Amino acid sequence: MAKQEFLSKKPLQVLEKIRENLERLNEKMEIMIELQKHGRKDIQPLPETPLDVMTLLSMPDHLRKTAMTVCRLGRATAEEIAQQTHRARAVESAYLNQLMIMGYLKKERKGRKAYFYVERENQG
Amino acid sequence: MIVLGKIIAVHSYKGGTGKTLLSLNLAATLVKHGKKVCLFDLDFRAPSLSTLLKVEKTEYWLNDYLNGTCEIDKVLIDLSSKIQNTGKLFVGLANPVTEAIRDMSAKDRKWEMRALGRLLALRNSLLNDKGFDYLIFDTSPGLQYSSINAIVSADFVLVATTLDMSDVDGTRRMLRELYDLFEKKTEIVLNKVLQDVSSKSGKEEIQARIKDIYQVPLLGIVPCFCDVLKGAGNIIFAQEKPEHPLTKILEDIVIKIEDLK
Repeated sequence: MAKQEFLSKKPLQVLEKIRENLERLNEKMEIMIELQKHGRKDIQPLPETPLDVMTLLSMPDHLRKTAMTVCRLGRATAEEIAQQTHRARAVESAYLNQLMIMGYLKKERKGRKAYFYVERENQG
Repeated sequence: MIVLGKIIAVHSYKGGTGKTLLSLNLAATLVKHGKKVCLFDLDFRAPSLSTLLKVEKTEYWLNDYLNGTCEIDKVLIDLSSKIQNTGKLFVGLANPVTEAIRDMSAKDRKWEMRALGRLLALRNSLLNDKGFDYLIFDTSPGLQYSSINAIVSADFVLVATTLDMSDVDGTRRMLRELYDLFEKKTEIVLNKVLQDVSSKSGKEEIQARIKDIYQVPLLGIVPCFCDVLKGAGNIIFAQEKPEHPLTKILEDIVIKIEDLK
């Protein structure tokens, strides 16, 4: 019985693992594309830049929408942002990583999920 | 959970368009409808609500909340007893002392970003946790950090404007280059109107004109009332003058606001 259960679950788990890896690969590619756009080779994001309202105003529309949603939610995954903006998760993931590389957002991994947020507490 | 349509920013391009008068009287009208309302003075450059509401002393100001030195419940003052109505009125005041004004105008981008975070947090702490029905932000005119922070945090922007040429032009620009960019629901209150709007045709003519200029809905038309000037800020019309035409206009505006989704 246990063996049967193990066998039936295994392909699913493998698929899940593949999907997870693909997602990470996709994310890395997004970051690389973004870095290339800025002519940079290092993987380090730009120094932290405050995401204030004047910055929000000067952003292109598509990024502003994502950034505003992060501001409103406080802390969110690409999936959660996509639900609010009614755009595809992959699109939001690309914008979020772009905002992170620009230094406006921070990213934190918790298990399989990547959370994006605005660093506000750091006094300086 | 996000509660919609409950945080109202009252803004304008020029000063003296009636933001504070509208904010205060809207708050009073909502309280009359049994609502729990908090009115915030976010005009840190020229605070006025502490004077108008005759609050002489307070230990904490909104300035302190935005500075992160106290929580919001320390700032709020319960004025429900002053307003004899079924609802509740609280206020959060800006510190009118010159030194405080100077301090607020010298803040950097990082501070403004944190202030935005603290304004955004009010949705949770006041609407969700403390059961407030409405928060009203009375702001500084024009494009300033504190006002834009308020607009970004709000669900709805009420723009007070007059038919003054420079005001019309600036307001039109702000609609396109500020509120639209933040995807804010915006409506206009036209104040200090000299034309006769007592007749249906007079009113319709102004409505058509405003629609043509701004392309956004007109929430209300307020004629130029000498009584308002005579009151010198001492009268909350919505509360003290139930029969005054201004009170009736405010009633209509509030009914529309309560219907907003």
